[in-house]
Amino acid sequence: MCRVYIRAAIEIGIATQTTTSMTTESFKDDPSALLRDLVSAMRMGVAGSWSEDRFEALALRAFRHQFEANGPYRAFCEGRGSTPATVKAWTDVPAVPVAAFKAVELVCGRPHDAEIVFRTSGTTRGGRARGAHFVPSLEIYRASLIPPFRAHVVPDLDRIRFVSLVPAPSDLPDSSLSFMVDAAAQRFASEIAWGVDGEGALDEDALVRALHAAERAGDPVLLLGTAFAFVHALDRTPSPLRSLPPGSRIMETGGFKGRSRELSKPELHALLADRTGVPRERIVNEYGMTELLSQLYEPVLAEGLAGADRHRPPPWLAVRALDPTTLDPMPAGEEGILAFFDLANLGSVCHVLTEDVGSVVDGHVRLVGRTEGAEPRGCSRAMDELMSSVR
Amino acid sequence: MTDRDFHAYVLPRWAPEPSGLRSIDAGAAPTVRCPEADAVWMDALVSGLRDRATVAGSSGGGEPGIRTPVSDPVERARKLGAVGRRFLDPDDRVRRECLELLPRGSGLSAPMAEAVLDGMAADWTPERLERLLREEFGDPLPLGRFVRRRERSVMAVAPGLCVQLVAGSVPGVGVNALLRSLLLGAPTLLKPGLGDAVLPVLFARALAEEAPELADRLAVVYWPGGETANEDAALGRADTVVVYGSDHTVATLERRAPRKSRFVAYPHREGVGVVGRAALGTEASARGCAEDVARATAMFDQRGCVSPRVVYVEVPERDAEGSGRHAEGSETPQGPADFARLLAQAFSVLEGRLPSGALERLERSGIQQLRGTAEMLAAGSAGGPAEPWVGHGGAASWTVVYDPHLGLESNCVGRAVVVRPFRTLDELFGRLAPVGPHLQTVGVAGLGDRLVEVAESLGRLGASRVTSFATVPFPSPWWHHDGRGPLWDLVRWVDLERSGDEADGA
Repeated sequence: MCRVYIRAAIEIGIATQTTTSMTTESFKDDPSALLRDLVSAMRMGVAGSWSEDRFEALALRAFRHQFEANGPYRAFCEGRGSTPATVKAWTDVPAVPVAAFKAVELVCGRPHDAEIVFRTSGTTRGGRARGAHFVPSLEIYRASLIPPFRAHVVPDLDRIRFVSLVPAPSDLPDSSLSFMVDAAAQRFASEIAWGVDGEGALDEDALVRALHAAERAGDPVLLLGTAFAFVHALDRTPSPLRSLPPGSRIMETGGFKGRSRELSKPELHALLADRTGVPRERIVNEYGMTELLSQLYEPVLAEGLAGADRHRPPPWLAVRALDPTTLDPMPAGEEGILAFFDLANLGSVCHVLTEDVGSVVDGHVRLVGRTEGAEPRGCSRAMDELMSSVR
Repeated sequence: MTDRDFHAYVLPRWAPEPSGLRSIDAGAAPTVRCPEADAVWMDALVSGLRDRATVAGSSGGGEPGIRTPVSDPVERARKLGAVGRRFLDPDDRVRRECLELLPRGSGLSAPMAEAVLDGMAADWTPERLERLLREEFGDPLPLGRFVRRRERSVMAVAPGLCVQLVAGSVPGVGVNALLRSLLLGAPTLLKPGLGDAVLPVLFARALAEEAPELADRLAVVYWPGGETANEDAALGRADTVVVYGSDHTVATLERRAPRKSRFVAYPHREGVGVVGRAALGTEASARGCAEDVARATAMFDQRGCVSPRVVYVEVPERDAEGSGRHAEGSETPQGPADFARLLAQAFSVLEGRLPSGALERLERSGIQQLRGTAEMLAAGSAGGPAEPWVGHGGAASWTVVYDPHLGLESNCVGRAVVVRPFRTLDELFGRLAPVGPHLQTVGVAGLGDRLVEVAESLGRLGASRVTSFATVPFPSPWWHHDGRGPLWDLVRWVDLERSGDEADGA
């Protein structure tokens, strides 16, 4: 019976393959034109939302490109009978599970032509496969990361002192987060101090020196780091974190997966506010993952604490909550597993099915922390791993 | 019972009442009620339990003056077993109540809950518990009194207070845990996991009816794990702390347990399966083996540390290319890819008999990840019979993936198995080496006269149990749990060394 299911799927795939090549021929899109269109749309910034039609048109063009250029993805789509000829809406574009980034080289073009490969951090067990995100062109990544960062982290200043608890890209060359912080620093930092090495160890001297210098100059600081790095820095006695000059803000990311989950997000933010004097409404949570080049932010700088606990995507990223069993869309506001369609992922796969749970209201995402759900059950290590996958 | 709250605690007769009760949102009826977090009350409770140790002489035990029937370990086994037997008796209201509450408390389907109860309670009888004592300590029992062993006399002393924190929702683990310490006569506080609260609570209630003097040494109290008010008070008075849980839980509790206490941990483990070619000689034998694997996986909806997630299947000898599949025909040897398909069929049939229970969102999400990734691997392959393949039950959680190129990792619970081929034993051990330290039960079939050799290698890698698939889910009470003696872990030994004339005594 299962054999039949798979065989049928393969047959459908083969049958549709011929029709598609004909159809796509007539719709041939120049990939570099698409890239140009997307980059210029992204550079217009994140103010306002895109019309459904505009997103749809770009999404379908992206799908055609990926179907043509990404071999494993094309086979996957054909297996499901989904081709540019049959897919009429972005919601019908097959979504790839994030776990597939560990198993398959999902890239448009040849993997070794990629400009960079971002990798997920290791799991609880050493030696296991890490997810790999091949990025053929960094141009679109840079274009996509700057406007949301501007809007949600530095809307009020041209430049600011960066103090980073995220390792420098020279220390962690395959980290998308390190790349992102560095790219944002090139555009927005008056100077940057890296306070954590590639192993994740705090460089307390560098950190204290940088914070001192800012204090003496009276300059506001942007302190960036993962939840885990912040917990680590707060746990030190004496903690290298200190009261920050007025106008300072914090960008915290990495969620509460893995080892940092001893502390809930509100607890961590309260501790950070207490130690640094940065008010809660200036602590911005960023949500991102290696498999998605775009980021989402809690819009607290614009909206105050009312903006906490919901993440705003940029207009080129659409998100849906899906039923975990059927993968049908959940009604607005109801929790499901999150699927993202990220146009910044033009060089790999745009439609990605995550393991994260949340709800979507008016295009905003309300994440359900992995520890806020039911108590983990069972005594299999499987559950541990599920709970601890990290960016 | 249906519409009433479920009280997830049972206190001894003498214990102070909790200062208040609260409701826990378990996501399903009935509402679970448990005592408020209250360090003062918890301290009074555990102090009172500790006092029982001296009153009944369970820890010292040697003075004839204060011996009571309950200080005799065999008598304890009989009394505890009398309670355990009620869970097997179809006419007993304890079993009936259990079958009503267990599915909702654990998330298992009703037929699965019954199968789990039958498997677990089979080891709670007087005979099995008495045998557990003998298997662990020999005869005569050196519990609370000296017994001559060669040139010395030895005595095992039970802890004055044993605090056990049991994590998951493999229903029955909590009762197994409390039976171990109560058999030794140790006053016991058991904090069950939410999904395994029903059985210890019903057990403690029935114990109060059958043997009130033993029930006076047992408190079962649920609180949300990690809640420090109750936890620290409970840990503070413990001689022995037993924790079942993730590495994270274990590490956290170990830090918080008093330095003087003994800390016994059962961290999360991995189960795997190994199917040798002798089980695959004909389609019928391969089918029978697949049915055993399916059942071993499905039990507890794969949440046990014994539950296999990856099954390594040997490539038949004549299959030089390792294609994994063989010519059609029922009398020909079956390859690993055939086995994967037989396993899918077995799951499909089993779903009718032992339906899977409700999975958490995160668990269902994990299954979607596995299915989708396997689908991608299968789509990208040439589509031949020995290529990656996935079969699944749609809304039912069962999923079988044939993974010849080792491209997949499964972190699923529910009923998801990754089947991988192996050609030589060295190749098998090489694959298992990275998970060795976390290995626990290895289900085996078809290894013939290589069984002992394989088991020795698996043992050296880290496995602590090698058994047939049929017996994978329910280890015997005296199994070397994670490589250690289940009762030995809890006792403290005293040696009495005498020379010359004195040696004739104990």
